[in-house]
Amino acid sequence: MTHPLLNIHKLRIAFRTHTKQTDALKGISLHINSDERVALVGESGSGKSVTARAVLGLLQQQRGIEIGGRIEFEGQDVALLKDSERRQMRGTKISMIFQDPVSSLNPVFRIETEFLEVLRRTNPKVTLPAAREQAEEMLRKVSIDDPHRVLRSFPFQLSGGMNQRVMIALALINAPSLLIADEPGTALDVTVQDQTLRLMRRLVEDHRAAVLLISHNLGVVREFSDRIYVIYRGRIVEEGPTGAVFADPIHPYTRALLAAVPRITKSGIPKLVDDISQFTEPCEIHPARA
Amino acid sequence: MTSVGRLLTARLGISILVLLGVSMLIFAIARVIPGDPARIALGPNATHEQVDKLRADLHLNEPIWKQYGYFLHDLSQGELGQSLYTNRPVTTDIAQFLPATLELIIVAGVLMIGLGLPLGILAAKHQGGTIDNLVRIIALLGVSAPSFVWAVILMLLFAFYLPLFPIAGRIAVEFDVPTITGFLLVDTLLDGQIAAFVDALRHIALPAFALALSGIGQAARLTRANMAETYHSPYIEMARSYGFPEWRIARRYAFKPSLTPSLTIIGLDFAAMLGNAFLVEAIFAWPGLSRYGVAVILRKDLNAIVGTVLIISAAFLIANLVVDLLIALINPRIRYSRGRV
Ligand SMILES: Nc1ncnc2c1ncn2[C@@H]1O[C@H](COP(=O)(O)OP(=O)(O)O)[C@@H](O)[C@H]1O
Ligand SMILES: [Mg+2]
Repeated sequence: MTHPLLNIHKLRIAFRTHTKQTDALKGISLHINSDERVALVGESGSGKSVTARAVLGLLQQQRGIEIGGRIEFEGQDVALLKDSERRQMRGTKISMIFQDPVSSLNPVFRIETEFLEVLRRTNPKVTLPAAREQAEEMLRKVSIDDPHRVLRSFPFQLSGGMNQRVMIALALINAPSLLIADEPGTALDVTVQDQTLRLMRRLVEDHRAAVLLISHNLGVVREFSDRIYVIYRGRIVEEGPTGAVFADPIHPYTRALLAAVPRITKSGIPKLVDDISQFTEPCEIHPARA
Repeated sequence: MTSVGRLLTARLGISILVLLGVSMLIFAIARVIPGDPARIALGPNATHEQVDKLRADLHLNEPIWKQYGYFLHDLSQGELGQSLYTNRPVTTDIAQFLPATLELIIVAGVLMIGLGLPLGILAAKHQGGTIDNLVRIIALLGVSAPSFVWAVILMLLFAFYLPLFPIAGRIAVEFDVPTITGFLLVDTLLDGQIAAFVDALRHIALPAFALALSGIGQAARLTRANMAETYHSPYIEMARSYGFPEWRIARRYAFKPSLTPSLTIIGLDFAAMLGNAFLVEAIFAWPGLSRYGVAVILRKDLNAIVGTVLIISAAFLIANLVVDLLIALINPRIRYSRGRV
């Protein structure tokens, strides 16, 4: 394979309503190789989730959205696919983990139903007993000791951390080649978040899945990712191997993000009033790194 | 015991208490309103002695708590006493008139659910589209006038100016349908009389629709709002991210969670229909409980008043119970909450 698993080239996305236009992405380029763990880091509203949704092909069918640039998955231009073909990739080759595990699972489904539904994406004929068996095995891998009880439960009967593990198990059970995790566990407390990432790391290594980890916290991604992209207001302002970015951040915004790291809280980056003039109009990628 | 069983027993217990409370209340109110039931029943020409004798037979000269005791004793035997208006047991009267009312309300309920929910779902899927606008108009019409006004309008439009439907009654006189269940739509079929069934259906169409109209609008609007909200929920986005087809997401992922509020409103509408049915029945000369109820109230027919009110309350409670059970069946959170009912 010569091409990366995922290649985003100068992706532009604008949301248009009759009153105004929001340029969410202003031409970002990003790639992920097979088996690679890549982090996309930036403050809230910088365009991380929009990127994830575009990769999944969830935005393409919406009204009032302008998309420019290219997204290639396995060398195939996603824009050239039909809606149904894009849909076919989701849940099979690409899967996603969401921020809030409790509200992302259907409140009226038992966990086993979720597994059955997801397993049917790759094998429409799978029976409930077979699905249960596969699900139990997967749940054990995410360190759930009593998978039988969990499978019979509804999401509200499980803790947030438990739901999070269920989400990871669901996301990996069809052995996707790309896993997108959009701020996994941010809705939960820090220790659970930490556990989640460690669990995820072990599992993606086992399953040889590539990961796009999205976070607003540089500290969180440090141990997890091979490479980092820093996104700021719809532009990638810094990219590089994790070690390099931490050792020698070039863009002032990255430095500001790094300064925020010791405080692992949800409050995000510290006040930037003093030196905000330095990066209000970010360049594509800092020349020194590009 | 299963959680649904526990919920059922608890609700049944509460229902019985409520019915007892209602019976006490109506028992007292019926006796407080002015007029002497014995005098009204016997007419102006009866002698004082005759009236006094009837009062004594009815225990009307005894203290009210004693009278209530007699009532409870009768009730425990499954009796509601004698009607002074029809001179028959109240239970017999109710057995005769109740099926017509229930039939009307059930058909209206089927219309409400069968039209309201699908319209709401379609409106949510195609927001701003034709069906969405139609739902808005129906909902507006439904709340802009009470059902008896719609009864008159529908009657004028579709039975008088445009005689598509019969103007009054339950069935044409030429049909002779044996009473098996009391529900004409059922009895005609049981007796194999297809023509009579169709005729009964045409008779019930307008009053049932008049009764259901506001419920259809409300159920549709609420379903639309809930579906639209559900479509924005994280679990729908998750379902999309897993590549399920849209129709499957609508049917399997969005519909069930959106249903609870619609069911609640449908339960309330059922209760409202029990009341509204009185006037609609009067307009369409529907031989249901309403005519009987109005007649016995005007005559201060104590036993009949209490019996009628009790039966209507019971129907009300059963409708609510059914709705609560349905909600518990689709909503695991309620089903598995202990202690709360
Ligand atoms: N469906 C949408 N319609 C309009 N604007 C949107 C939509 N989704 C996201 N945006 C805008 O795009 C920008 C990036 O959003 P997002 O990717 O969700 O940020 P985050 O980095 O916090 O995930 C924000 O300014 C947001 O308001
Ligand atoms: Mg986001």
